[in-house]
Amino acid sequence: MTKQNINVALIGNPNTGKTSVFNQLTGLNQQVGNYPGITVEKKVGFCKLAHNINANVIDLPGTYSLNASSADESVVIELLLNKNDKLFPDVIVVVSEVENLKRNLLLFTQIKDLEIPTILVINMIDRMKLKGISLDIPFLEEHLKTKIVLVSSRKNIGIEELKTAITTYKTITTEACLNASSIDDDYFNTLRKTFPNQSLYKLWLVITQDVNFADLNRKTLENESFTKSKSELKKLQQKETIKRYQFINDTLKTGLNIDSSIATDFRSKLDRILTHKVWGYLIFFVILFGIFQSIFEWSKIPMDFIDSSFASLSTAASENMPPGAFTNLIAQGIIPGIGGILMFIPQITFLFLFISILEESGYMSRVVFLMDKIMRRFGLSGKSVVPLISGTACAIPAIMATRNIENWKERLITILVTPLTTCSARLPVYAIIIGLVIPDKYLLGILNLQGLTLMLLYLIGFGMAILSAYILNKVLQLNCKTFFVVEMPNYKLPMFKNVMITVVEKTKAFVFGAGKIILAISVVLWFLASNGPSKDFRNAETIITSKTENATLSKVEIENKIAAYKLEKSYIGLMGKTIEPAISPLGYDWKIGVAIISSFAAREVFVGTLATIYSVGGSDNDNTIRNRMKEEINPETDQKIFNFASGISLLLFYAFAMQCISTLAVTKKETNSWKWPLGQLVFMSSFAYIVALIAYQLLK
Amino acid sequence: MIQDILTYLTLAFAIVFLVKKFFFKKKKTNKNCGEDCNCQ
Repeated sequence: MTKQNINVALIGNPNTGKTSVFNQLTGLNQQVGNYPGITVEKKVGFCKLAHNINANVIDLPGTYSLNASSADESVVIELLLNKNDKLFPDVIVVVSEVENLKRNLLLFTQIKDLEIPTILVINMIDRMKLKGISLDIPFLEEHLKTKIVLVSSRKNIGIEELKTAITTYKTITTEACLNASSIDDDYFNTLRKTFPNQSLYKLWLVITQDVNFADLNRKTLENESFTKSKSELKKLQQKETIKRYQFINDTLKTGLNIDSSIATDFRSKLDRILTHKVWGYLIFFVILFGIFQSIFEWSKIPMDFIDSSFASLSTAASENMPPGAFTNLIAQGIIPGIGGILMFIPQITFLFLFISILEESGYMSRVVFLMDKIMRRFGLSGKSVVPLISGTACAIPAIMATRNIENWKERLITILVTPLTTCSARLPVYAIIIGLVIPDKYLLGILNLQGLTLMLLYLIGFGMAILSAYILNKVLQLNCKTFFVVEMPNYKLPMFKNVMITVVEKTKAFVFGAGKIILAISVVLWFLASNGPSKDFRNAETIITSKTENATLSKVEIENKIAAYKLEKSYIGLMGKTIEPAISPLGYDWKIGVAIISSFAAREVFVGTLATIYSVGGSDNDNTIRNRMKEEINPETDQKIFNFASGISLLLFYAFAMQCISTLAVTKKETNSWKWPLGQLVFMSSFAYIVALIAYQLLK
Repeated sequence: MIQDILTYLTLAFAIVFLVKKFFFKKKKTNKNCGEDCNCQ
């Protein structure tokens, strides 16, 4: 029998165990060299097969597709397109990995189009049982038009079968497994006519290689009837990839089955616990509680530092700058206003740090899956979970994220209820009020009351969102349902760099997005608080001095009385006094009323507004924002303004009220109607008012 | 006097900024951009 030499090319995605297969096939018979002109390593090994066949096995660099964009990837294409290369393969072995078959098959379907006999190796089959994976090999062989060999290169399983398959490579059909040219029939027909003797897919690869490697020297052809612009070719490439994935999805729907309930690997075991109907929720709530505890505990010191730094800055400004209106604007308006937002950077940072870690580690996908079970009971789509969870950062991108919900009614309900989840703008309001009215004590020695309250507020927001969805579902008579598909990523240690980038970006967006508005509003508020229309405002000093002539008051006390009187008679005081009758049943004074009105633009303005108002009307002794709020006394009741009853009432008001113009604008845009944002505004605001009223009246 | 001018200038800037922010939103320059954040 005569000896026969054949070339076998090993091709596959990176990390599919291609080199292990190569080592198993060739043993120590290897040569390592470089492809000419580039520094990409090539390996050629020798393997003796049955029927006197000697195989040159070429281990090509790992590539994800034939749409190469890097030097090592182009090595693969150049070899496959050049029939004159002495290593041009007689047979190609595409190595795939059983856990990532879908991704790996893209390259396989492209290679099949080259009309070269191709064997599909499915590697790492020893993990099939661990992962609960089963394959319908006859079905896959029929649809992929290939010979499939199951291999475990680590455990030396299937190598002999692979050698046999290589030996009989001539029996394998070179027919393509899908008709990729259907993405643009006209274009490919023109190509076919222009180059009648060429393989259509090879032509396509040559043309697109030119697109991928723009710096190549190229000849201009006279006949340009078949040419397309680079952007058109790129779009066609994308269409080709989508078509291939559609084919792969259809094939794997039947050919691959993953039953996670019988999987025995660590990830599957962990998944079973984290998505368990009891333990899953318990673990989630423990993690949630841990996060809110830490937000309060760890932020304490930096928050105090920022608060007192801005107080000192304000004092320094008023002491060192020449006296006048502009100095007052800086010391009493701008600095306290900015301080009021920067003070919350530590808490915002910790919130995003934890959310980012949960997302990076892969746990968040499990939470989405876990919560989907609850969502469905309330008539929401599983896809609604993503907007509701991302609403904890900001309702605006969350509402935009509802676009992937196909069913209009489900999408509408999700848009309407998303603003009820606690966004980061509520955090400063919650933080300052909780700090004022909830004692910093521990329940059972471990549960911090302030952290617990914060967690309850998040849960109330989320609970109200799904309860509203349930009611809307009944009112709108929602009948149709959509399917929910979520891909569970592998668990991994969060990358420090990724986490930090997310934290910095989100915190920056919060500070600069809200900061500019707060700064501008602080300036306007300061002006309104420092000027008044009546004679009483201008003659405040005379009026108070004459009133206190007989009283034994210190100079500071008289100054405080003048400041308070001027504030009451200022524009902002008059505005606040006008709305006071409406808000006093909720336990709020006119100053809180002004803060509620100004924070209609954005919730976080609430703290900045109070900081500005109290700076204008406060004394210099209690110069931090929190101390000023803590000491504020209601002159009518002689009680502290921020007591337990009014504090809880305010917390509940902010939990439900629609205090965000931008959210209303986005709702209008997404629903293309004013009806829904107006409904949202009326419902949320009146509900917030009623709940806050009940809470205050019960607790006072 | 200078302090008063600076104060009124700052106030005017603040009001113009707020009016522009909430009543006259900037139109996107790039037609290919969707509604995503950071798309210029």
